[in-house]
Amino acid sequence: MSSDRLRAGPLELEVLRRGARGGRLILLVHGVNPVSPTSPFLDLLAEHGEVVAPSHPGFGGSPLPEYFDTMYDLVHVWRDVLDALPDGVLMIGFSFGGWVAAEVAVGGHPKLDRLVLVDPVGLKLGGREERDIVHFFNTNPAELNRRAWHDPAKRPDGIYGLGWHACIDDTMPDEEMVALARNWDSLCLYAWRPHMYNPQLKHWLRRISVPSLVLWGAGDRIVTPEYGRRYAALIPGARFAVIDEAGHHPELEQPRALVDEVARFLGQPA
Amino acid sequence: MELWNHCENPYPFVPAEVLDQAESVRASLPNKYCDPKIAARLYDEVFDEYRLCDDLGIHIVTNEHHSGINNLWAASPVITGVVARITRNVRILSLGTLITVRPDPVRIAEEYATVDIISKGRLEIGFVKSGATEMVSGDANPMRIREREWEAIDLIEKALTTRDGPFSWEGKFFIHPHVNIWPRPYQEPRPEFWAATSDLPTCAELGRRGIVNTLLFGGYDRTRQAFDAYKAARREAGLPAPGEDRFSYMAFAYVGDTDEEALRIGQKIAWFLTVSIKSAPQMSKFQPGNVAPEMVPAAWRAGVSRRPRPANLDAEVLIKQGQMFAGNPDTVARQIKEFRKRVGGIHHIIMMTRQGLVTHAEAEKSFMLAARELLPQLQDLPPVDADETAWLARQREAAAAK
Repeated sequence: MSSDRLRAGPLELEVLRRGARGGRLILLVHGVNPVSPTSPFLDLLAEHGEVVAPSHPGFGGSPLPEYFDTMYDLVHVWRDVLDALPDGVLMIGFSFGGWVAAEVAVGGHPKLDRLVLVDPVGLKLGGREERDIVHFFNTNPAELNRRAWHDPAKRPDGIYGLGWHACIDDTMPDEEMVALARNWDSLCLYAWRPHMYNPQLKHWLRRISVPSLVLWGAGDRIVTPEYGRRYAALIPGARFAVIDEAGHHPELEQPRALVDEVARFLGQPA
Repeated sequence: MELWNHCENPYPFVPAEVLDQAESVRASLPNKYCDPKIAARLYDEVFDEYRLCDDLGIHIVTNEHHSGINNLWAASPVITGVVARITRNVRILSLGTLITVRPDPVRIAEEYATVDIISKGRLEIGFVKSGATEMVSGDANPMRIREREWEAIDLIEKALTTRDGPFSWEGKFFIHPHVNIWPRPYQEPRPEFWAATSDLPTCAELGRRGIVNTLLFGGYDRTRQAFDAYKAARREAGLPAPGEDRFSYMAFAYVGDTDEEALRIGQKIAWFLTVSIKSAPQMSKFQPGNVAPEMVPAAWRAGVSRRPRPANLDAEVLIKQGQMFAGNPDTVARQIKEFRKRVGGIHHIIMMTRQGLVTHAEAEKSFMLAARELLPQLQDLPPVDADETAWLARQREAAAAK
C-alpha cells in the first residue's frame, strides 16, 4: 500500500506515482482493484509522461466517507483530482474506472486534454432481456476469472483482476485479503444497482469534447468488443481499437500493446 | 413460557442428483423443479398444522425466503394474512418480510396493519436483516443493509403509529413524501416488534428500543452473549431491566412419545442444514458486505463455507450444541429449562418442527405432545439466577479452553 497521498477536495487519496515530474500528466482511473505498483504497464507508460494513479474512495488506502455511495460522489472526487493536477491531463480509465472517466469527461474539465477508455463499463446498450455486462457480483468467481482473461494462466503474479476470488489461497497475507475485500465491498456499494451502468450515460457521451480512444481486449468475455464498438461510436470522433490476446484487462495481459496504442494516440494531433 | 411453531414450508422433493449438480439450491434453481400440485398440498398441510396449533395454544411464526427449495413462503404478509383468517386464538409473528430487499417500507406497514386488523390484534412484526441469496433474488445492494434495515424499521414504526397523517419521509434509503396508511393497526399504538439477530451491536440497539430479540440456532454461548448485550445496553441507557418476554430462541424441535422416536424424526430436520442451505460462493462467503473486510481472513480461511458441506449432522450433536430440542416431553422440558438457565432467562421458544423431511402427521403429533405434555411443564418457572448463569458460562469457557 502506497503512503503517498493526493489531496482531492477534503479527501487524502492514496496515490501511486511513476515517471519524471513535469512530463505530460497521465491520470489512471482504476477498475476493480487499484493499480498495482508491480504492473509492468506502469513503467512503459511512464516513458510517455508522469503517471498518477489515485485509488477511489474505499479502495486501497483511500478513505471512504460515510456519505459516499454513488457514482455521483465518485465523479466529483475525480473532478477534485483533476483540479489538483497541472493542465493537459490524459485520463485513462479501466473497466469500472472507464465508466468513471466517461462520466467525468461528459461533464468536461478544463484540465482534461485527452481520454482513453480501456474495456469500460457504464452503458446499457442491449435490450431489456440482454445482459451487456456479466454480473460481477453474481457470477461464480471461477467463471469470472475464465471470462476476464484471454489466458488466466498468464495473469501477472500478485496482481488481481475480475475473478480474483478464484485466484487467492490461504497463504495470502491477511493485509492483502482485507484490502481486496474492502475494494470489492466499495465497488459493490457504487455499482450493484443498476449493475455497472448509468441508464442515462449513453445519451450524454456526445458531450465528450476531448480526443478519445477506446481500447478493447479482443477476448473480453465480461463485456464484448462489440459493446466497445458501440460505446466508441457514441463518443464524437473517438477511435476504437482492439488489442489481441487480451481479455477485460489488456493493461495486465498485453501491457506493451496497450501502451503502444496510447503512445500512438498521444502522437496524433488533437 | 410460550411455544411457537415456525415452519418454512420447505420443498424437499427435488431429485438429489439435481441438487447435487446445482451450484445453488437457493436463488438460481429453476422453478420447473417445483410442482405446483405438490406445493398446493404442502400449503394445505401447513395451514392445517397452524389451525391445530391455534386449538392447542401454540403461537405461529411465518417468514419468507425467495427462489429456493428451503421455503415456499415467498411473501410473509400474504401468508400471515391467510393465517390471520384461519386462526382465532394464538399470536402470529411474521419474522418477517425482507425489509432490506423491499423498496417501500410504507407498503409493508400497510400490509401489516391490514393483517393486524384481520387477526383482531394478534399480529407481531419481526424484522430480519437478510442477506446472501436474498440480495441476488431481490436485486438489493448487500452493502449498508444494516443502516437500511434500521431506516426501514423507523419508517414502518412511524407509518403504523401516526394517527394524524400524512407525514413526509425523505431518508437516506427511502423516500416517501406522503405517508398515510389505511387501515391503521388494530393494536395501539402498534403490534409488538421482534428482530432476529445475534450481532451484538444490533442486540444492544434492540435492548434500547425494547424490541424482542430472537436468535436462530445460536446455541448456548452466542445466545447468552446476545442477551447480555441487550441487557447491558438497557442498563447503560438507564432503562429498566428487560423481562424474559423480551427474549426468544428458535431451535429445531421434535417432541415424541419416546426419546428414540424424537431423535429418529429429529434427524430428518437436519436436511435444512445438510441440503437446503447450499448456495454459490458469490451468494455467500464472497458476497460483498457478507463479513467486514477485517474479518475476512478468518472467515475465508476457517469459515464453514471452506469446509465440505455438513452431510450428516447428528441430532444428538445438535442437541448438545443447544440447537435442537428433541425427546419425549419430559426430556424436552429438561432441555429447554437448561437452555433458559444457561442463557439467563427466555420466554419464547420457537420450534422449527415441520422442516426437511418431517411429514405432516409427524409434525402434528409433535405439536399435540408439546401442547399437552411439554407446555404445562414450562409454566410458572422460578426466576433465573444470574449468578448461576454466569457460573455455567465460565464452566463452558474453561472447558472450551481445554
